[in-house]
Amino acid sequence: MDLLTSSEQDEIVSVVAGFLRAELPINDLRVNRYDHASFTPGMWKKCGELGWFGLGLSEELGGVGYGLAEEALLFRELGRHLAPGPFVGSVLGARVAALAGQTELAASIVAGTCSVGMAEARGSASVASTGISGTFDLLDGAGATHVLIHSDSALALIECAALGDVPLLPCIDPGTRLTRVELFGVVPMAFIAEGSDVVLRRGTVLVAALLCGIAEATRDLSSEYAKVREQFGKPIGVNQAIKHACANMAIRAEAATSQLFFAALAADENRGDAILQTSSARVVATNAAIENATATIQVHGGMGYTFEHDANLYFKRARILERTLGDSRRHLDLLLHAPAAQ
Amino acid sequence: MDLKFSKEDLEFREEVRTWISENRPREQRPMDRPAMREYDLAWQKTQANAGWAGISWPKEYGGRGASLIQALIWFEEYGGAGLPGIDACFVGLNHAGPTLMTRSSEEQKSFHLPKILSGDVVWCQGFSEPEAGSDLASLKARAVIDGDELVVTGQKIWTSFADVADWQELLVRTDPDVPKHKGITWVICDMKLPGIEIRPIETMDEEHEFCEVFYNEVRIPLKNVVGDINDGWSVAMSTLAFERGTAFTVNQVRLAKTVEEIIKVAKHRLGPDGLRPAIQDDEIARRLARARADVAAMRAMTYRTISRSLRDGTPGPEGSIIKLFYSDLMQSVYRLAFEIIGADGLEFLNRWMPGGWSGSYLYSPAGSLGGGTSEIQRNIIGERVLGLPR
Repeated sequence: MDLLTSSEQDEIVSVVAGFLRAELPINDLRVNRYDHASFTPGMWKKCGELGWFGLGLSEELGGVGYGLAEEALLFRELGRHLAPGPFVGSVLGARVAALAGQTELAASIVAGTCSVGMAEARGSASVASTGISGTFDLLDGAGATHVLIHSDSALALIECAALGDVPLLPCIDPGTRLTRVELFGVVPMAFIAEGSDVVLRRGTVLVAALLCGIAEATRDLSSEYAKVREQFGKPIGVNQAIKHACANMAIRAEAATSQLFFAALAADENRGDAILQTSSARVVATNAAIENATATIQVHGGMGYTFEHDANLYFKRARILERTLGDSRRHLDLLLHAPAAQ
Repeated sequence: MDLKFSKEDLEFREEVRTWISENRPREQRPMDRPAMREYDLAWQKTQANAGWAGISWPKEYGGRGASLIQALIWFEEYGGAGLPGIDACFVGLNHAGPTLMTRSSEEQKSFHLPKILSGDVVWCQGFSEPEAGSDLASLKARAVIDGDELVVTGQKIWTSFADVADWQELLVRTDPDVPKHKGITWVICDMKLPGIEIRPIETMDEEHEFCEVFYNEVRIPLKNVVGDINDGWSVAMSTLAFERGTAFTVNQVRLAKTVEEIIKVAKHRLGPDGLRPAIQDDEIARRLARARADVAAMRAMTYRTISRSLRDGTPGPEGSIIKLFYSDLMQSVYRLAFEIIGADGLEFLNRWMPGGWSGSYLYSPAGSLGGGTSEIQRNIIGERVLGLPR
C-alpha cells in the first residue's frame, strides 16, 4: 500500500508540467479566446507525440501501457495549467474506438491527428448502436474531428463533419468552446455498451484529476499571495480570516488528491467498490475545485475579480468540469446506491 | 502507488479478525465509572494476554512492535468490529507510555510500562488549565522544590478519567521567571496523594468523562520527574508523532460504519414529507452521498499519511489535516442523523445506546474542541503546511 507518487511518476509529472509551462501558458487562453477552437491541430499533434492520448491504453490497443494512476497524474497537471482542448474526450474516445474494433480511428486519436469533444445530453437522449437522438451541449466539439456521446450504459463516437456548421455559443470559460446540436438518429462510427461502465469510471477519474489540479493550483495561488500581499504593514496571511481560508483550501485539496489516487487504483483493478471510489473522487474534487477557486477570488481582493488574473479562469473551468461526463447530481446518485467500500 | 497489501499482511488481517471475533467483550460497557474502569482494564488485559496490547509499542517494552501497515490493519479491524474504545487506557498507551519510553529513566520505565500494557493501571493527563487551553505553555500550576519533593499547588481541567486514574502525567510550572516554555516540568503524579481533589464535569451530552483536579500542596517525590526540571515542554512534545498517522483510523472506520447505518435508517424511516422514506428526500439523499464520499476520502487521506510515514519516518504536518477533516465530517454526519430521525431526536438517548443519535449529536461539538481546537489546527496547517507568516 502506497498512496504517494513514485520517482518514475514524479518524472512524468515534471515533463508534463515543463511542456505545459513552455507551450501552453495560461495567458494564451485570453489571447485565443475568440478563436473558433480552443486548441490547434498542431498543438494536438504535439500532445499526441508525447503519448498523452494513449498513456493508459494497453500496448496491444496501441497505447503506452501505463496505469490509470499515471493518466490521472497527467490530467492533474492539465487541470493545474488549465490546458485547453478536449483531453477527456480524446483519451476516452481512443479507448472506445479501440474497444469497438475501430483500430485506425483509435490510432489517429492516439496520434493526435483526430480529436474528440465531449457531448453532454440535455434532458433525455437515446444512445444506441443504431442511432443517437437528443439535444447535446458539445464541450470543445468546435475544432474536433469527433464527439464522444455517453449515457449511463453506452459510449459512442460520431463524426463532427456529420453535424454540419454549428455556431459557437458564448461560453463562460474562455478556454472551452460551447456548441449545441440536435441529433436525430445519427449512426455512430464506434459504439460500446458492454464495458462502457469501466470506461466511464476511468473518465470520472480523469475529470476528478483535472478538478484536483484546479484545487491545488488555487490553494497555491492563494497561499503565495497571502505571504506577499501586505496591508496595515504586514502580510495578509497573518490574519486568521485569510490563514484559515487557505488552510481550508489545503484540506479540500488533500482530500481530493488522496481520494483521486485511491480511486485511480481501485478503478484500474476493477475492485468491487470502484463505483463508490470513483464517484467519491469526483464529488470531493468538484467541491474542492469550486470552493477553492471561489475562495481564491476573495483572497486576491479586487485583483481576483479581474479577467487579467487567473483566479477567474480556474473558477470558470471548474464549473465546466462539474458538468463534464455527467453532473454532480448523477455522481451523488451513483454514490448513494453503490455497493459499500471494501 | 498501489493499494495492495502483501500476502503476509493479508494473513495478519485474517489473524486479527479471527482473534477479535473470538475474544471480543460480550457485555455492554457499563456507565458506572468504577465499573467502566474495570471493564476497560479487563479488555486491555485480554489483549495483553494474547500479545495484542500496545500494537505500536516496541517489542523491548513488551509491545507488539507491529509494522506501520500492520498497525493500520489492527486499527481498521478494531474499528470495523465495533469494539469498545481503549478509553481509560488511552493516555497510558498513547501518550504517557510513549513519553516514558522516549524520555524517562530505566527505573521509571521498568516500573510503569509493564503495568500500562497489562491493563493494571489507568493514567490521566494533567496538562490543560482553566487559563491555559490552546495556549498550553502559559500553564500556572506551581511546583516548588522542597528537599527531595516537588510541592504542587494549582488546578487542572479537562482531565479524562481523573476520577478513576492511578497515575497522571502532570505539567507544572517550576520556574515562573523565565519565558513560558522554559519553566515547565513533566512529572508523574500518584493520584492517591493527599491534597488532590477531583470534581467531575458534566458535559452537554450528560457524560462525566472530564474532571477538574485541584492540587493543594501535593508532595510528589522528585524522582518522579521525567527529563530535567524545567525541560517539561520538550518532554510533553516528544511523543506527538507516536501514532505516525494511524491515530484516526479507528474513528474513520467507525464513521464509515455509522454512515452505512444512517443510510439504513433513512431507508426505513419516513422522511420530512411524512410520505416517502427519508432517503428519497433530495436534500437528505445528497447529504448522505456526500458523507459517503467524504468517508472514502478520509480513508484515502489516512493511507496517504501512512505512506508518508513509511517513506519519511514521520506523517508530516499534513497529519493535522486529517484531524480537522475528521471533526468536520463527524459533526456533519451526526447532525444529519439527528435531522433524519426528526422529532424522535428530542428524546435523549446517550450515544452508547442503539439508536442514540441524539446523544451522538450532543457529543459532536467535542470533535472540534478536544486535542487542539479546529482554529488552532487551521493555524498549524496555514503555518506549517502552507508556510504562511505567524
